[in-house]
Amino acid sequence: MKVNLHPKEGLLINAFMLFFIIHSVQVGVGLAGLPRVVYLVAKHDAWISVFLAGMITSIVLIFMVQMLKQYDSADLYGIHVDVFGKWAGQSLNFIYMIYMTSTFFIILMNYIEIVQVWIFPTLPTWQLSLVLILIVIYAVYGGIRVIVGVAFFSVIGTVWLVIVLFVPLQFGDFTHLLPILNVNAKQLVMGAQSTTLSMLGFEIIMFVYPFVKEKHKSMLFVQIGNLFTTIIFTLATLISIVFFASNSLEKTIWPVLSMFKIVRLPNLERFEFIAVSFWMLIILPNMCFYLWAASKGFSRILGKRQKSGVWIIAIVTFAATFLIKSRYQMNTITDVVAKLGFYFAFCYPVLLAMIVFIKKWFKRRGDKHAETQ
Amino acid sequence: MQKRSKWLKIAIVISSFCILTSCGVETKQLERLGLITAIGFDLKKENEINGTVAVSKFDPMAKVMTNVISANANTLQTLRAEENLAIDQRLEMGQLRCVIYSKELAEKGIIQLVNALNRDPTVGNMVYLTIAEEDASSIIKMDEKKIKVNIGTYLYNLIRQNVERELLISPTLHEFNHKFFDNGQDPVLPILQVKKDKVAISGVALFNDDKLAARLSNDKLFYLKLLTDEYRTGSKELEFDREEFSNIINTQGGKSFGEVYNKLFLSIDTLRSNTKIKLVDKKNIRFKVEVKMDSRLLETTNYLELGKTANMKFIEKKVNQEMEKQIKKLLLFFQEKKVDPVGIGNEYMAHVRGKPMTQKEWKELYKNAKFDVQVKNTIARTGTMD
Repeated sequence: MKVNLHPKEGLLINAFMLFFIIHSVQVGVGLAGLPRVVYLVAKHDAWISVFLAGMITSIVLIFMVQMLKQYDSADLYGIHVDVFGKWAGQSLNFIYMIYMTSTFFIILMNYIEIVQVWIFPTLPTWQLSLVLILIVIYAVYGGIRVIVGVAFFSVIGTVWLVIVLFVPLQFGDFTHLLPILNVNAKQLVMGAQSTTLSMLGFEIIMFVYPFVKEKHKSMLFVQIGNLFTTIIFTLATLISIVFFASNSLEKTIWPVLSMFKIVRLPNLERFEFIAVSFWMLIILPNMCFYLWAASKGFSRILGKRQKSGVWIIAIVTFAATFLIKSRYQMNTITDVVAKLGFYFAFCYPVLLAMIVFIKKWFKRRGDKHAETQ
Repeated sequence: MQKRSKWLKIAIVISSFCILTSCGVETKQLERLGLITAIGFDLKKENEINGTVAVSKFDPMAKVMTNVISANANTLQTLRAEENLAIDQRLEMGQLRCVIYSKELAEKGIIQLVNALNRDPTVGNMVYLTIAEEDASSIIKMDEKKIKVNIGTYLYNLIRQNVERELLISPTLHEFNHKFFDNGQDPVLPILQVKKDKVAISGVALFNDDKLAARLSNDKLFYLKLLTDEYRTGSKELEFDREEFSNIINTQGGKSFGEVYNKLFLSIDTLRSNTKIKLVDKKNIRFKVEVKMDSRLLETTNYLELGKTANMKFIEKKVNQEMEKQIKKLLLFFQEKKVDPVGIGNEYMAHVRGKPMTQKEWKELYKNAKFDVQVKNTIARTGTMD
């Protein structure tokens, strides 16, 4: 397997599209429940935790992009093989592939749960999952440029929901925010860790990177994308804290969706239905990118066609949807994947970047020695 | 290759059609639905509630547009199922506008019933919650011919227009929840009363936790609103001794004082107001309540010499004193009844670091809280007359 990937000129994407990619993959089902999850740990300073998490993500992204810049045009699969050799590298690739498949699955299941709770209580899980998976397969079949297009339209089509978030603000009570920094540092950090599930998605940069046209600009747009996500997440958390009483925020599963309940238009009594429906547009790029990256791994590891990988992963995921029946199972598995994500997307890339830096440094020194001799 | 992706597209289109056009999803046809617009809850006996619903119909052939059904059950969902058996249409909660709890229930606590509404995703967040002076069913069962519209719509409009005129504190489900679940604030709901074939708001209920603890008559509500909201419109009549104003009463060339009133009444109308509650002494729990308002003088029962600055200052001072007295009285009344509709507890908790306080702990402290009230009222205009 080659370390570097050189896609055809026609498949490349502009660097500024990385903004849409990173932002759209980060914003997903996690956001709907984010304020509550963080609030449980960091109380009314949750918004500081979220902001902190954004900062940490930004640092992790610096490591990732710097690591990618060490290579000409490689993705994570290539780097693994380059660093760890064929067998260990391929095994790590396989593990990462499984991680991405499970994230794909979690996004799908969480969204279906939201639809079942809010709009169609009797809708069988398999119907919606079948439709969603087919749409995602269709997008992935179109290749990376189509998926980036989905990400672009997802951001453009749903960014107005942020403005709607300001409506609940007028029902808010700002004394909830005081006293600022009432919790200790440990709780703040723990709170930041609990945002993992929402922050996830930025690791996709490690797979998209070979397809970026102006690679030297990628750091800038990746950081802007993450900053935008951080601002939206912090804002949503802040508004939730102000809007809900503390005891009710702890009990509300999807505070962001519950906040939309307050919005009332003259000809539309229940705005949350619109919000839940639009949420599909938000999660679509997430699912597309995860399926794409996982199936890419399939073709990179086994050297088979990516399309067969798409089908295999899709069928496995679809079969797995039958295993989950209830909210508490959902909770357990979401927690597991969130924890996995913490190690796979936050800790591991930093570690790997360190290894790559050291390796490249040794290699450069070795080259120099060879030259001088 | 090309052929395969074409087949895939066709398969997706067909399956999407099949699945998205409703197999598996319930259909809800408007004509077959009975939309619940109002629910009234009464306590039947221990562990059993009586629910009365007003159902609005869309059937154009039907003469009566509203059905009233009553049933007994233990939970809201069973109640709805029971009621569903008594009507030819399927009952839906999506258009619920107003929920009435009887006073008896309110005194025992209503949160168990409110939580049923919170959990149900079909119930909106802007439903109005109210308390009935006597039993809730008599309000729902009001003769519809007299009020001309569906009782749910009537109650909704009754409350909404008063909230919009700023005469009433908005009693939506969301606001109830917010205040109930906040440890430093208690909810306030309006009380409805049947008066000669009309339903009217006869006051507001003050809650301690989820139990009705006291009631406030409509004329005191002005001060509560002043303390809680940014107030824009709303007027208040103030009563004074005529003797105190004798210097500035213009008798208009020796004509008499007028005999209808032997006191002086001033009616002022708030243009804007701003209230700040500050914790000035953490140890002794002393609060400073600062009310700043701009108002206009709408009505006086005697002609006053309003042209002179000194006189205006005098009136302002008198009004300030009177309002300070009333607000202080009101705060002490809240304290005595252990209710905190103003949210003084929130203010306290916002400035005290450490472990979050429970409602009980706050109510213990609340007993000993002290208040200094300061009102700064500027009479900006006096209408078309001096």
